[in-house]
Amino acid sequence: MSQTITIDPVTRLEGHGKITIQLDGRGEIKDAHFHVTQVRGFERFSEGRPFYEMPSLMARICGICPVSHLIASAKACEAIMSVRIPHTAAQLRRILNLAQMVQSHALSFFYLSSPDLLLGMEADPKVRNILGVAAAKPELGRAGVGLRRFGQSIIEILGGKRVHPGWVVPGGVTEPLEPAKRDRILAMIPEAYANIALALGAYKAIASQFKAEIDVFANFPSNYMSLIHEDESIEFTDGAARLIDVTGAIIEEGITAARYTEIIGEAVEPYSYTKFAYYKPLGYPEGSYRVGPLARLNIVKRMGTPRAEKEFIEFRQLAAGPIESSFYYHHARLVEMLHGVEKIEEILADPRILEKHVRATAGVNRLEGAGQAEAPRGILHHHYKVDENGKMTWANLVIATGQNNNAMNKGVLQAAQHYIKDGKFTEGILNRVEAVVRTFDPCLSCSTHAAGQMPLQISLVSAAGDVLDRVARD
Amino acid sequence: MIREGRRIGELGLMETSTRCLILACGNTLRSDDGVGPKLAEWAAERFRENDDVRVVSRQQWTPDLANDIAAADSVLFVDASLKSAPGRVSLNPVPLDGQSNGTATHHMEPPELLGLTRSLYGAKSTHAMLLTVGAGSTELGDGFSDTVEAALPRARGVLEKAILQFLQ
Repeated sequence: MSQTITIDPVTRLEGHGKITIQLDGRGEIKDAHFHVTQVRGFERFSEGRPFYEMPSLMARICGICPVSHLIASAKACEAIMSVRIPHTAAQLRRILNLAQMVQSHALSFFYLSSPDLLLGMEADPKVRNILGVAAAKPELGRAGVGLRRFGQSIIEILGGKRVHPGWVVPGGVTEPLEPAKRDRILAMIPEAYANIALALGAYKAIASQFKAEIDVFANFPSNYMSLIHEDESIEFTDGAARLIDVTGAIIEEGITAARYTEIIGEAVEPYSYTKFAYYKPLGYPEGSYRVGPLARLNIVKRMGTPRAEKEFIEFRQLAAGPIESSFYYHHARLVEMLHGVEKIEEILADPRILEKHVRATAGVNRLEGAGQAEAPRGILHHHYKVDENGKMTWANLVIATGQNNNAMNKGVLQAAQHYIKDGKFTEGILNRVEAVVRTFDPCLSCSTHAAGQMPLQISLVSAAGDVLDRVARD
Repeated sequence: MIREGRRIGELGLMETSTRCLILACGNTLRSDDGVGPKLAEWAAERFRENDDVRVVSRQQWTPDLANDIAAADSVLFVDASLKSAPGRVSLNPVPLDGQSNGTATHHMEPPELLGLTRSLYGAKSTHAMLLTVGAGSTELGDGFSDTVEAALPRARGVLEKAILQFLQ
């Protein structure tokens, strides 16, 4: 008789989700799905609002990556206004975006994933959390707290608040940077470098212990997409995107925000409220692709900052072509954090960062606009339509997590097929299935633009549809 | 609210040492859940001239606050409570050896935070109290229920007395 395993909730993720694993009559894995179970409706209830409210409104989608939504939304508004923002404003936004990336990656690595990596996938769930890491490896716990604080402090210094900051508006930012604030940020840089070095050292020391997980954690060929600078270095805030195929060859180049929805489609599956993005010329699901840290480091040719460049060269030696195992998202995040700190320091060293002209102004000059930026989890796209009075008539968001959706589902199936045999499994095995999803660091609130407090569930389901087991954590 | 940071010792503490840290928690768009931030706002104004008092108000208590707690001689947590009768003001000590139920990521309770602080920064004789006001309503809204509104003067009084005791 077939069976269904349900993991409910899936822990140490941002958002509500559920995993169902379906066994056939022989107890072998028939199918597995990652379900996102919330609906929020931001795209719908923004209709009728003045377009210039959108950045502030859209930032409320998420408490982890509101800056990404602020920036992508502001860019969509600027497309409607037909303005180019001042160079200093663009650089200030870049600092804000990088600071968010650092704190978000720190959350993902230290709080969500390090319990598995440092304490073991089979560790007692009671200690397999940030408190357990703090007890066993306090220096790493301090490093994680320090890096979260680094990123969030910069966001607060620039935007006024750690969560849902303001400051980023259509046309630029609301006020220039003062020298005292610049100096406060610079004073935090040395400790950030030290904390990242500690994390990289710890990760490299234990990574070889996870060869089995590396082999089956969403380890398959795929396409990848990310922003890329004109000089082929990593880019988080401006510019166009590149899509590469399984060999690393460029499929599509110069993907601007205006072109995005010409070539990216979104499919819907009945088992999840998160959409499934795909490259239209290849159709769905063949046109699926991955985004985020692994994608970015697979696509770019250089990091553009010296310390991260050394780590990048070492990272790319993991494979001859694109690095395929999603386990390496963890490594890629650490390299990106290092780049983020270096880039922030570099931008602040430029005296132009203190210039006063930081905002362009205009009204409605076009009835449609789109903006894109790299969120910590991958490329984020906002697309708006307005009437002649600037009232929103339509909005569509393409979220990073939705673009990783197909890969997450394939990864869950792959891990389940490897670890669950004859319908038998342990808590550690189910933790590994969860851990596959964690490598992507999904933001489930964003991906459905959804609300609430969020755990994840895993269910084991029979062929007849009976739920045979569920893993639920309060 | 951020004070200028400076390094303290070898543990990478970036916050200024303070005698009394007020840590408030709550959502100001959820009616009585906003009582923590409201009281924090009052305390920040009341003790504006006193560098020994530092007020931090957040929507949630998160693990990174361990750094702030480690730099403080005493900490006063302020929050709404769903367990107390609406409007009831309570002030209780928080045990320093906090245990965790293993789900701490987005939000931690005071005992968990203190336990995390101890694990990360070592044992320290930080005095910790929790001030709560029983919530009548946590529905969407930016005002308080009548009961909590009426309890605010008493809550401010208890808060002020607790801070002054910590400063002695």
